[in-house]
Amino acid sequence: MSIAIRMLLIATLASAWPALAHDLQYTVVGGQAVVIKLFYADDTPFTFEAYEIYRDGEQLPYQVGRSDSQGRIAFLPDRAADWRIKAFSEDGHGLDFKLSTDAAAQLAGSDKPAFERYSRIFIGLGFILGLFGLLNLYLKRQQKS
Amino acid sequence: MHIPDGFISPQTYLPAYAAAVGLWAYAARRVKRELDADTLPFLAAYTALSFVLMMVALPLPGGTTAHAAGIGLLAVSFGGWMAFLAVSLVLAMQALLFGDGGVTALPINALAMGLVGGFAALTAWKTFGRWNQTLALFFAGWLSIALPALLVALVLGVQPLIAHDAQGAPLFFPFGLSVTLPAVVLPHLLVGLAEGVLTVLGYRYLTRLRARLA
Repeated sequence: MSIAIRMLLIATLASAWPALAHDLQYTVVGGQAVVIKLFYADDTPFTFEAYEIYRDGEQLPYQVGRSDSQGRIAFLPDRAADWRIKAFSEDGHGLDFKLSTDAAAQLAGSDKPAFERYSRIFIGLGFILGLFGLLNLYLKRQQKS
Repeated sequence: MHIPDGFISPQTYLPAYAAAVGLWAYAARRVKRELDADTLPFLAAYTALSFVLMMVALPLPGGTTAHAAGIGLLAVSFGGWMAFLAVSLVLAMQALLFGDGGVTALPINALAMGLVGGFAALTAWKTFGRWNQTLALFFAGWLSIALPALLVALVLGVQPLIAHDAQGAPLFFPFGLSVTLPAVVLPHLLVGLAEGVLTVLGYRYLTRLRARLA
């Protein structure tokens, strides 16, 4: 093999080196994720809907994506922080809440609704009827005076 | 239909709050003149019904849910301003006590559902009621859901245009009008049918009950 052909072969191989940058590799490791389950009041999962996760105070999202077929979001926090979770469907349903992680990047706490859904109905009815009861007393007092 | 917190930009909700506060004050003065002790128990019962209806999610095709609201029923039974205040009360309670619907979105929800929905229903009832009461009531109920849904879709859909960063990425609700209009309005056209039936039945029941008690 002539020197010219050897040089050409070496040059060809060398020029192919950058192509390795396009060869996507992967590794698989287990990890402790925070899993958020999103669902409607009738337990229908909030499936394949968009979400964004931000470290508190940051503008650039830490993670974006779509919920899975079970309405779940899994993410791996990298440190102790407060995290803001925003999830939204195209029809305007959604949530915007916070959770926190500790120094081991494990879940430490999260916002919770003040009342369970069915308690809300009774509390709400009590509130409305109580308010109108007070209004009724006010109207009667007005009529007397 | 309640818009949660974090979806609406301050450029939208601050002017909406200003408008809503003025309208709530005006409505309170109007209602104070018109409200009497005979009407109050019915208004209380129908406001409570509206609250319960908003808590009952109806599953819809596509994996989403929607709910009736009783807005048309409140409007044709008690007038537009009473309906506006009653629906605003329900929405405020849901937002402040339960986190259903955002505090920042409260004026938009109240203006769209209570004011526009209520007065649209009342107008439909007054316009068509002289020809066919049943159809007019049904249409009033349907319109009280469909029109607010259209407004909410518009408000959500313009958020990416109103509030975005230097790169053009939306800071609040991310989907534009081409997405929100069909996604919000179409399901509510169906829910409006249930609201229409509810308005017909609820109004007739209330009329009979009032006549019996008079």
